[in-house]
Amino acid sequence: MPSIMHAMESTNVVFATQKQNAKAIPNVLVVDNYTGSGTNVITLVDRFTPSATNGTASPSETTVNRLRITVDNGSLEIIGDELKNIEILGQTEVSIATAMDSGCYVTLGWDFQ
Amino acid sequence: MIEYVPSPMATVTSGVPKLLQEGSYVRFTDKWPVELNFVSGKTFLITKTNEVPYDLHYIIPTNDYTDVDFSNQGDGVNLYPTETNTLYQVALGFKPANLLADIYIPAGEYCQRLQQPSMVPTLSSNTLRYLGAFKPVDSPYFDKRMFFYFVYHLEPLIMRLYVDYGIDYDKVVLGLTINKCFLQQISPTPEQLSKAKVLHYYSELRW
Repeated sequence: MPSIMHAMESTNVVFATQKQNAKAIPNVLVVDNYTGSGTNVITLVDRFTPSATNGTASPSETTVNRLRITVDNGSLEIIGDELKNIEILGQTEVSIATAMDSGCYVTLGWDFQ
Repeated sequence: MIEYVPSPMATVTSGVPKLLQEGSYVRFTDKWPVELNFVSGKTFLITKTNEVPYDLHYIIPTNDYTDVDFSNQGDGVNLYPTETNTLYQVALGFKPANLLADIYIPAGEYCQRLQQPSMVPTLSSNTLRYLGAFKPVDSPYFDKRMFFYFVYHLEPLIMRLYVDYGIDYDKVVLGLTINKCFLQQISPTPEQLSKAKVLHYYSELRW
């Protein structure tokens, strides 16, 4: 099971680039906001470009928000089982609602299906 | 030339190879057209094989589809042999997805249909979209049960991959094993003929 930790930045943080022949299945998300600057809203983002289809011959890059949680300042949130039905089709990213909070750390673990 | 192997009701014997092996025999029925006279009505010994795994992947929005052409023509994925002495036996399985897959050969000609004229796969129908459609559970990625047999210059086989309602997008992964079989024509003995795997032309599958 791969996992990685990143401090949150003003732009989406990439946790896993797309594995073309598999979906990423997150299985643990830890948000460490002990040293954050305030309450933080964390969103798990799925970024991909769909294939050409009957409906759209030249599709453009798309993002889909798969999960959102609010974490109080000075607290730690751990989500495990609740993630088991979330599928990431493309690149796995995490965004933070505030402009930037390098004191807020997110750890994500995932498997491929 | 298209084969769907149902799941066994019980497994009571040691495993039988799913793919053609060296020493296997194949017989093409005489329904294969004259354009494919290098195989039509002939029997072959397979003298060597080579299994090549391959995955194809597509991200498709809900209630939409993409057509995958297995042939070597323009937009095809090039899974047909380029020499007349080669048979490609292609095993196909799906990773889990909210998918319905229909097969056409050639384009626009349904493989899975009933005899009543309106009973054809119809994606715009809430009921007929499920007619003849294969789902991932029918041929799982790690237990492939769909087999295709491709020879040089066979007409294009199209697989229509439709993502059903109930999801925003889904990723469809086709797991393929292309078993390259080198063919040596033989004049079969009755015993060889009885052992030969019979390959029907697609027109024989529609009746």
